[in-house]
Amino acid sequence: MPISIDDARAFVAKHLQPMLAVAMLAGALLPGSAHAIPAFNRQTGQNCVACHAGGQFPELTPYGRLFKMTAYTLGERAMPISAMVVASHSKVADPSKSDDPGADFQKDNKLILATASLLIGGKLTDNIGAFTQITYDPYATQDADGNFHGHSNADNIDIRYADRFISGSRDLIFGVSANNNPSVSDPWNTAAAWMQYVPVPSPTGSRFIDGNAPYPGYGAGGNIAGLTAYAYWNQTLYAEIGGYGTSRGMSSFMSAGLDGASTTKLRGVNPYWRLALNHEWGPHNLMVGAAGMTARVYDDPLDTSDPASTHKFTDLSLDAQYQYLLDPHAVTAQFVYTRNHHRYPAALADQPAPFFDASGAATLANTNAEDTNHVLRARLSYVYQATYGGSVGLFSLTGTTNTANQTAGYDSTGTLVRADGPASNLSGNPATKGWTLEAFCMPIQYARVGLQYTIYTRFNDASTNYDGLGRNARDNNTLFFYTWLAY
Amino acid sequence: MKSAILALAAAAAALSAGCANPQRSRDTANPAVPAVTLAQQVCSNCHGMTGSAVSPNFPNLAAQTQPYLVSQLSGFQSHSRRDPAGFEYMWGLSRHLTSEQIAGLAAYYAGQSPTVQPIEGDSHGIEAGKLIFASGVADKGVPACAACHGPEAKGNEGFPRLAGQHADYLVKQLGVFQRTDERPEGSIMKTVAHGLTQQNIQDVAAYLQAMPSL
Repeated sequence: MPISIDDARAFVAKHLQPMLAVAMLAGALLPGSAHAIPAFNRQTGQNCVACHAGGQFPELTPYGRLFKMTAYTLGERAMPISAMVVASHSKVADPSKSDDPGADFQKDNKLILATASLLIGGKLTDNIGAFTQITYDPYATQDADGNFHGHSNADNIDIRYADRFISGSRDLIFGVSANNNPSVSDPWNTAAAWMQYVPVPSPTGSRFIDGNAPYPGYGAGGNIAGLTAYAYWNQTLYAEIGGYGTSRGMSSFMSAGLDGASTTKLRGVNPYWRLALNHEWGPHNLMVGAAGMTARVYDDPLDTSDPASTHKFTDLSLDAQYQYLLDPHAVTAQFVYTRNHHRYPAALADQPAPFFDASGAATLANTNAEDTNHVLRARLSYVYQATYGGSVGLFSLTGTTNTANQTAGYDSTGTLVRADGPASNLSGNPATKGWTLEAFCMPIQYARVGLQYTIYTRFNDASTNYDGLGRNARDNNTLFFYTWLAY
Repeated sequence: MKSAILALAAAAAALSAGCANPQRSRDTANPAVPAVTLAQQVCSNCHGMTGSAVSPNFPNLAAQTQPYLVSQLSGFQSHSRRDPAGFEYMWGLSRHLTSEQIAGLAAYYAGQSPTVQPIEGDSHGIEAGKLIFASGVADKGVPACAACHGPEAKGNEGFPRLAGQHADYLVKQLGVFQRTDERPEGSIMKTVAHGLTQQNIQDVAAYLQAMPSL
């Protein structure tokens, strides 16, 4: 059942209007000047628009990038704590085509507190500063009775040292970052850690929103411990190189709050690199860059005894970003392409497939020894007067077919079964494509309300019947409303 | 885990106590940081390393008159200048500058070579702007800009240099003078600019941006 205009109207009347009213009221009650705002604003005394393009956090302006590259040390030491809360509501086009709609779409069409973060950041010394985030997920786990339980853990962490050598026409920034997520240290928002700009709530009802659609990412994932060194020369050439390993011992705070089974275990030191060329002219700026990482990840985080039990991920990214920033207009165009190569450990390669053919008699091809995926993301956004904005985004994931990817198929009796609810994959191919349209408003500089509509044209390599039981890609189209507050 | 946090806290405390680096600091509240360091480490992010801003969102400061720069920084600090472009960026950065740092910053930018901008806008507009600059608009009661800002728009004491300024910045500031009281120190401009049409403003701004090259 597609979402009709009437559905959208009812959705807006029920949820958008009251929340906009609350945001407007907050705007009227809170001071409108540059005081008493999140940690970095307190430190510099500047408004969000100085560092965030059109006030659209977390996207950075050229000035915001320099603030980050100089280790968050510009300004004066201030109270370093901020908080961030996201409330959201999502409605999927068709929650009925499912084995168990009640369980598969538990929070569909319900307003939820999606996530809350505590941010500790700012200037420590003339050369050292930090950005650390601890996030609370109210839906982290679910017990046997179906009740959700919340959990807090370390989110993005970036602690850095930087120095800047500047004289006449020469400018060199040099720095070192200790961080827990490859590319979280990157100053451009096309970086994998930053391209996904709206936090994703866990509940199953929100599984098809843009934040869960394919994004570029590194196979190593987050909650690991890394040290990178970077240099930015004449605001033209940016280079960064570093290595990541398991978060443990002195670096265990990088994965604080996560248990052993949830912590990524890496074998040895895993290299990460980044190169970018930047040019600014008039109100325009353009970056073209490339980045890559090779990571060896233990298959079982609780058993790292066998070096052969590692997955090897090799990721290569090409990205570009253009910004036009001239008050009252902010235009951003972003493009990222990532090639992910995944080599399975020998024990998982060339294994019997978990499903059979439709007759239940013959087995399917054995699992692959390696897969290659391609993720493409492009996005164009516009913000007027740092208040009203909209964006159009495109996502496309294509990749190798692998029977190991199948989460739907025929058992030995020829019966079709689904193991991953409405996201079950019958083809063994991950191909997923679509669009996201968004309109948002920032009634005050610490609040953003947004309405997104994510359109799937392909899901698990099919536009229709991708799970074998009649679920179509368009059934996953999702209307998503969020309110994002930072203070 | 606990020992790691303690070690980090101890390291942070030690570093913050003993690692001030005034010669390359970005601290806007430390009187020991020289003005030239602030200009290079902080102001340059928007206004360019020698006061020539790449983005027209930010004014060029190179070769600006020293008294005008002092009055603007003091105006931001006291919040008497409160146009959005000013308070969004400048209130916070200027809040703890000492009078010596303000004087030093003004001297630094006053001593830089003037900015040469690309010529933008059609030649008719630039010609019309030149006429307004040199002679004013008699029937609207607009006096010649040159009378206060100098025949080459180099500025004069508290009257700012306009030659080589970003046209977009000039257009927006003339709008601020015309429509608001957000720059009380320049209230004379409210009377002066009152009779200018939007076209007049764009023409004179295009002329001033192009001026050092003409």
